[in-house]
Amino acid sequence: MTPIHFSILLFFIGLYGVVNKNNLIKKIIGLTILNGSTVLFFISIGYFENGIAPIFQKDMLKNPVPVMVNPVPQALMLTAIVIGVSVTALALALIVKIYEEYKNLDIQQLSKE
Amino acid sequence: MKNSSIIKTISQKLFPFIMLFGVYLILHGHLSPGGGFQGGVVLGTAVILLSLSYGIEETERKIKIKYLSILEESVILFFIFLGFLGILTGGFFLKNFLPLGQAGGILSGGFLPLLNLIIGMKVAAGISGIFFILFKYRGEI
Amino acid sequence: MKNHLPILIIIFPLVIAFLILFLKKYSVQLSLTGIFASLFLLLRLTSEILNGNTIAYHLGGWEGPMGITLVIDGLSFYFSFLVLCAGIYIIFYSLYEEKYSSSYYFFLLLSISSMLGVIFTGDIFNMYIFYELLTISTYLLIAYLKKGKSLKASFNYLIMGGVGLSFFLLGVGFLYALFGFLDIALIAENFLDIYLVHREMLMVSFALMVIGIGIKVALFPLHGWLPDAHSLAPSSVSALLSGITVKIGIYCLIRILYGIFSLEKYFFRRTGQIFLILGSVTLLFGATMALAQIDLKRLLAFSTINQIGIIMIGFGIGTKAGITGALFHILNHAILKISLFFCAGIIIKKTGSRLLQDLKGFGRREPFIVLSFTIASMGMIGIPSVNGFISKFIICSAAIEAGFPLIVVIILIASVITAAYYFKIIVLFFDSSETSVKITKPSGKEMTSLRIIFGYWPVYALTGVSVFLGIFPTFGINLLEPAVKLILSNFVP
Repeated sequence: MTPIHFSILLFFIGLYGVVNKNNLIKKIIGLTILNGSTVLFFISIGYFENGIAPIFQKDMLKNPVPVMVNPVPQALMLTAIVIGVSVTALALALIVKIYEEYKNLDIQQLSKE
Repeated sequence: MKNSSIIKTISQKLFPFIMLFGVYLILHGHLSPGGGFQGGVVLGTAVILLSLSYGIEETERKIKIKYLSILEESVILFFIFLGFLGILTGGFFLKNFLPLGQAGGILSGGFLPLLNLIIGMKVAAGISGIFFILFKYRGEI
Repeated sequence: MKNHLPILIIIFPLVIAFLILFLKKYSVQLSLTGIFASLFLLLRLTSEILNGNTIAYHLGGWEGPMGITLVIDGLSFYFSFLVLCAGIYIIFYSLYEEKYSSSYYFFLLLSISSMLGVIFTGDIFNMYIFYELLTISTYLLIAYLKKGKSLKASFNYLIMGGVGLSFFLLGVGFLYALFGFLDIALIAENFLDIYLVHREMLMVSFALMVIGIGIKVALFPLHGWLPDAHSLAPSSVSALLSGITVKIGIYCLIRILYGIFSLEKYFFRRTGQIFLILGSVTLLFGATMALAQIDLKRLLAFSTINQIGIIMIGFGIGTKAGITGALFHILNHAILKISLFFCAGIIIKKTGSRLLQDLKGFGRREPFIVLSFTIASMGMIGIPSVNGFISKFIICSAAIEAGFPLIVVIILIASVITAAYYFKIIVLFFDSSETSVKITKPSGKEMTSLRIIFGYWPVYALTGVSVFLGIFPTFGINLLEPAVKLILSNFVP
């Protein structure tokens, strides 16, 4: 199974976690898995067979350059990971405040009030 | 959590090495995997390790959150200022204006090491700041 | 300095936002300076844009697929003008409502700056980044009071926004896998070649992106976060969200649908039909649910869903008249909805309650506010002489021309239901049968007369603009002429 198939599987696992779980923290974990699956998808696009890591070494100017893995999606995904971390931090801060107010972290109980 | 002297001693001995590794990641961002965000997270994790073993009150007395906030806010203005320097030296926003060294050296790549340093400081201050606010102040500030 | 204008318009509110964190005492003056400066810089480009030129700016000097380009064309100019003008009104109204701390103005300016970033960028991954930044700053604005039900509403919005933007990112990933670069203009150039080979993958990418943006725009099955988030936020934030933030999602849909995916005519006709159906269902759903509400701001939030359905119908029709009507309705709905939310905020502040039944006889206390509310709701229903009538009329005539008479019937039914729930409120205002007008003094500091002026003059000014546009609509339509021409020619300059 190639990494691309695996990332679609992770996407559906994350979506299942966000939709079906009742605890708020489990929903956040599902959202993190969802973000991680898109990162995996992007990175596995730029993969070549027998490609080396995209690090530039000084003797590459003299020897012929071998095939490198595409570094552009990796740079894009750094930004996406940062955004995922910020959203998770914000969600956890909101959960702290919700728990102080309602003393409950179950979404069925919270939506009744 | 009981006060465990093993964890306190080990984290005290390991703390400078973790900081060194974080600074290494930031400075070599244009040559090897790493860069501003990764190095900043390692630096923030070092502070979190210290506060988990010594207790948050004592760590926060050494690294005050007021200074972390001021560092975080002033660093982003410096980033935009570097962008404007790109305009002033006759190019576009965020254009490279420092000389490119030889490929593979540490001072190569124009102002990329400088930008990495700025982002590394911001992320380190941010991650430790988030940790302190969530656990010590319970979301208020 | 003239050719650096695109980046300066985005950077100015951002720099001012971070300066506000240092100079906390001058936050209001600084934020007004920032937005006026951006508006001034934008207006310097007016003559060029209205002649049909496009300005492109390469960030960092890197051109082509390697760098990020900022593009100002007719459509970007129209939306950014709307965003900046609305921002001025919202800052003035926030002065009236409460003494907000500096962090509120910081997040407000950050959200306006990221909205300008979404509008001006020409790179689809950059659009995702700025959109995520906009969403994060609005989470914080909704949960500003840090207690009560607004926390739950913000959390609900956070989960749905996060999932939606992950769908959008996966769609962008499919596009990147097929094309190899992320620049919108270059994708549009190579679209037809790749469409012949990989048709199914492009359709999957389109579906994922539409679902992702559809959650933010509140199309029918994906609207669940909107009533809570828009009604439980403070009134100025509700006006920001309903008036402008939803429109940014529509802008992204226009860019993706008309900029990239409409080059293939068969595909475009089918997607137009999907938007027609979704828009009609959204329209009827919003109107019916609004009829059953007893809370004033929740009713206005469902009315937003209502009008978004009309805008989607306009884009689904796809002819010149349909697009003109939809774009004009975006402007009209922003003006009217911001004015309505400001009136609702003033009413809640004066009577201390949000339920409709406590509004009896309010017309005697504040006659001019009730008059503005009446004029704005006339615009929403579509009565002539206010601007809402003109945009609805253009969309209906476009529907008849294109051969969808059923759409006109649906819009008329929805307008009747809209009239029903707005007249319900207006009749309560003018009800003078009981003398038990609730004269509770709202808790809080006393307001000096200067602060009262800051709250009332935006309402009067917006009402005046809506009546003016209703009588002389050519001012608005001239503003969107270059945008319509650009959309119809598929963004080829």
